Amino acid sequence: MQEGKVLPAAQINRDLLRSILETPQWFWPVVSLLGAIVLAAAITIGIMINTGLGITGLNYKVVWGFFITNFVFWIGISHAGVMLSAILRLAKAEWRRPATRAAEVLTIFSLMTAMIMPIIHTGRPWRILYWAFPYDFARGIWPNIRTPLVWDPSAILTYLTSSTLFVIIALVPDFAVLRDRTTGWPKLVYTLLAMGWEGNPRQWKLQIIAGVLLSALILPVFVSVHSIVSWDFGMAVAIKSWHSTVFAPYFVVGAVHSGVSAVVFAMILLRWAYGWQDYIRHEHIDALGRLLIVVATGWFYFLVMEIIFGIYGLEGDELAVRALQFLPGDYGVAYNVWMIVFVGITYFLPVILWLPKAWRRNLWIMSAACISVNVGMWLERYLLFVPGQANKQFQTFTWNDYLPQWPEALIVGATFAFVSMLMLLFSRVFPLVPLYDIKEGDILRTEIQVGRRTVPATFRED
Amino acid sequence: MASETQAHHGDQSHSEHGHFGPEMWVIPEASVLVAEVNEKQRMTPGIWRVIFIAGGVLTVLGIVGFVLKALSDGFSDHQAWGFYIAAFAFVFTLTASAPLAACAFRFTKSHWRRPLSRIAEIFSLVSLVNILLFIPALIVLPDIGVMHESGEQLVRRSIWFQELTNPSGWLMAGMIGLSLCSVAILWVAAMPDMAQSRHHVSGFRATLYGKLAGCWYGTKRQWQVQKGGLAILGALYFMMVVFVQFLIVSDFAMAMIPGWKDSILPPFYTVISFQGGLATILLVAYVMRRWGGYRELIGQAPFWAASKVLLGLTLLHTYHLFAFFITYWYGRLEVEQAILNYLMFDSYLGIFWAQLFFTFFIPFPILVSNHARREGWGAPLAAVFIIIGLMLWHIRIFAAAFAAAPAVEGGLYYLPSDAFSFPALLLPPPEATFPGIADIFMILGGVGIVMLVFRIGMMMLPPLSLWEMKEGSMYQRVDTLIRGRYLVLGKPE
Repeated sequence: MQEGKVLPAAQINRDLLRSILETPQWFWPVVSLLGAIVLAAAITIGIMINTGLGITGLNYKVVWGFFITNFVFWIGISHAGVMLSAILRLAKAEWRRPATRAAEVLTIFSLMTAMIMPIIHTGRPWRILYWAFPYDFARGIWPNIRTPLVWDPSAILTYLTSSTLFVIIALVPDFAVLRDRTTGWPKLVYTLLAMGWEGNPRQWKLQIIAGVLLSALILPVFVSVHSIVSWDFGMAVAIKSWHSTVFAPYFVVGAVHSGVSAVVFAMILLRWAYGWQDYIRHEHIDALGRLLIVVATGWFYFLVMEIIFGIYGLEGDELAVRALQFLPGDYGVAYNVWMIVFVGITYFLPVILWLPKAWRRNLWIMSAACISVNVGMWLERYLLFVPGQANKQFQTFTWNDYLPQWPEALIVGATFAFVSMLMLLFSRVFPLVPLYDIKEGDILRTEIQVGRRTVPATFRED
Repeated sequence: MASETQAHHGDQSHSEHGHFGPEMWVIPEASVLVAEVNEKQRMTPGIWRVIFIAGGVLTVLGIVGFVLKALSDGFSDHQAWGFYIAAFAFVFTLTASAPLAACAFRFTKSHWRRPLSRIAEIFSLVSLVNILLFIPALIVLPDIGVMHESGEQLVRRSIWFQELTNPSGWLMAGMIGLSLCSVAILWVAAMPDMAQSRHHVSGFRATLYGKLAGCWYGTKRQWQVQKGGLAILGALYFMMVVFVQFLIVSDFAMAMIPGWKDSILPPFYTVISFQGGLATILLVAYVMRRWGGYRELIGQAPFWAASKVLLGLTLLHTYHLFAFFITYWYGRLEVEQAILNYLMFDSYLGIFWAQLFFTFFIPFPILVSNHARREGWGAPLAAVFIIIGLMLWHIRIFAAAFAAAPAVEGGLYYLPSDAFSFPALLLPPPEATFPGIADIFMILGGVGIVMLVFRIGMMMLPPLSLWEMKEGSMYQRVDTLIRGRYLVLGKPE
């Protein structure tokens, strides 16, 4: 399984710190372009706050549209960090090593981005204080702590805090390496961040214990976050097709599906941008591809369950929503076409691309498959939330379909630019592939002779 | 290296090398494996006789219970057969997922799986019994549609939608397909061992091995086909087992309780089945190791590693239960409150809490404890509690489902399209039913037949996967890293 060669520690430092100690020519133009998109979105948000949500496509019936879809999408992406880092660390999967840092950092940035979306969506962001936090403001209006809309910020903030701690713990040895290779004020900053790390046995032991403990403790938070996000919808009985018991695991598995796909794509980009061919190897992408086949199939099973038991009840209102989702009809938006596209690009196309080993090792094909999954998962959330609201219900005298307007499209598009920009800036100051993890992996690598064949092997400490 | 490897197998893993914990168990030398396993298979320690006799007695009791039930209640009253359905589903849950464990851990290339693979695969033989047990279950399953005396065609909710008759054909086809697939897995996986052992055994086993593995010579091509075949069969079996579980829990539980629409139940049942299957394998492995004479061949490593998987499945079980509960509880729909009251808070309150204790509150601290897992008894002890808890789960869901389906002119209450207008569940939920003597006999019979068939399987086939154990011994060595001695594991593609 193991490919590539064992590299000397000095070369690992040199290669993986290249993104920090040198600035590629493309770096600032790309960051500027992404920054410009983010700035445009910020201006649009200003206009939207000033003018009101009327400039969006949201209306009386469809009150949750692009922004909430995007919120759930980014929460989903954030699940990659724990999936890859914590679970694979506990499972001692050797191929996790180059992917963990990028996944953890993507978790933090996507969580931050996700949290922005409902704040924008309120139209009056300052009112979040009244709705979400238990602070009275002497008005006698307390938030309803029994609503999942209040559980959300608690869960997400807990996840953000624990993920940040997770990243910092893992970064400490790398901070020390940077401290020893920089001068001036960067050295001062890295010295503070390294917290006196000298790499003695006691420090390593504590660092490993902290990593394992955090891995185990963060797992319940990881599951709870997307479960609670799913309950934003699943607890609602008024919108047919939302009140489903399977939503929590369905959302969690979907989140892992999209999150791991995003990490694979990010890894391929990093490999290309920084020339990390010796670190992010085909075997790693191959292993992630195999993991994704399993995750995608699990997700597809939950999707089928959600649909079957939506129809199972034979309740008129719910059947009407399902008809809106699946059947061609005289609607403003052809949801059924989008439904076919969504299932095709989220499951069938990528799984077909992941099945042959040669294709899993082809970075172009893997990139296409991972992008396909993420476009599909974004669509999935949209098709899950909007048709239920758009459907005309009993004793509803006004109803509307939903057509997103340019501000929503721009803001949603800018969130991708925002996360990409943050990732690039992070790679400018911190290593996106963990140095100590790669070195540890190289130390533990060995070979076994079986007959005439040499088999890659690993020392197992526990 | 040979002597060193030999020195660390079994319980000797704590010997002079301080780095060898239970998780670092080393498989014995390939050369001694076949002889040891054949010798142990010939020996019959007391525990195997006890299991054989107890299994036989319990099976007979189960048959007696079945006959008593058939004579007293006939097959037309579905409500009388709730405990039979629970017993069947319990056996199916524990045994259908067991072969999957062998396939799954082989797929993930887990080194520690090797002593557990054959134990898991032998449960395929129970799947043949599952077909027999399934026939009465299909007979007592009520039709989906009935003609009411008013002349109105009434149809209850079902995953078969507009079908009116009991979907026996499809259900039986699923069950037979699943059984055939699992037996094929057992055959393909055991073929190399049978081929090798045919020269060491005599009588019936020699004939059997000759018939089933006569064509095996261990050529490179045969090994490639065998490994590829196992991978394909494993993938097929995984899909089939999930599908059949979906059919059974939907048709025999959810569709029987008016108003119960619960999309998490099939995945929940699948998780329960994986949990129960792994618990059963670990329990059997522990019995083999502790009392069956396989101490040197089944180290502590499988228990140490599998207990982490069991812990994960235990947490998943509870997570799915909570996801079901919170959605219904928070939704406040009358029909959902009625179902919660029936299954959890009123009629079956006692069984619910007992089951929760057995499936979560007791095994969770055991499985979290490093000490309990390291010593090797933690996982089997947790497995015992889990199996008892799962039996209660099946009674709470399946027996309750059959009891809750009230009869109208010999049929069920049949739902109109709008569940919320259904009056039955707005009434106080039905009382819990308790098993009669025939029901208890049938439940015990279910346990007994698993014990009996497994023991027969152990006598017929090598109870440990010799080729996997030998493969494992080739891919391991003990080596020095810095100042310590560690286990080195090879992982070929």
